[in-house]
Amino acid sequence: MDLSTQITYFISAVIPLYFIAFILYFVRILRGPTIPDIVIAIDALGYDLAVFLAVLAILFKSPLLIPCPIVLALWIYALDIYVAKYLEAREIGA
Amino acid sequence: MYVEAILVFLGEALIAIGVFFDIIASIGMLRLPDFYSRIHALTVGTIGGAVVPLIGVALLALGAPFLGVYRLYLAGAAIITAILLLMLAPTGTHVIARAAYRSGAAKPLYISIDELATKSEGRGGEKR
Repeated sequence: MDLSTQITYFISAVIPLYFIAFILYFVRILRGPTIPDIVIAIDALGYDLAVFLAVLAILFKSPLLIPCPIVLALWIYALDIYVAKYLEAREIGA
Repeated sequence: MYVEAILVFLGEALIAIGVFFDIIASIGMLRLPDFYSRIHALTVGTIGGAVVPLIGVALLALGAPFLGVYRLYLAGAAIITAILLLMLAPTGTHVIARAAYRSGAAKPLYISIDELATKSEGRGGEKR
């Protein structure tokens, strides 16, 4: 079988599993009792979305999607830092 | 022909491992009882579920036959994201865990001896 068709079949089989992971993370975001719970669920969801974008870049055979995960990972990290600063010192340094 | 096939199969294997870790991490995020044990699920989902498949995507892009020049760009960006995640995820997790503990937002429930509360760490460790 040709390589590119095999790649397309493989990735289109993997995508529903990613959706299951997204839904489960989203349940934790809705249910999270404390604020840090919600933050780490958003972390996991964000990093997972970054990987999903990279996998989609392979599926759509175009590099258009690939700069977005870099920025997304940095933003999710910034979210961590700001929430932590707010929780500890009640100020974000603005 | 063999090099591409090897790279593609290796990339697909890493992506499959990454998806497996992701499912495990999302289940762990729901099932684990306490905030501090959920951090374990987060780091499993981040390192195993994000860095590993990103390296898999990079290998897959290098070996994939489609549009020649851009696959190198795709592989490079995927590896950069993987390296960034290796640096960002642990520090972000540590920062949020420390803030949760110090501010008392997430109280450690399943704990018998709380060493950190006894000794005054850093700025006196706010009492919960």
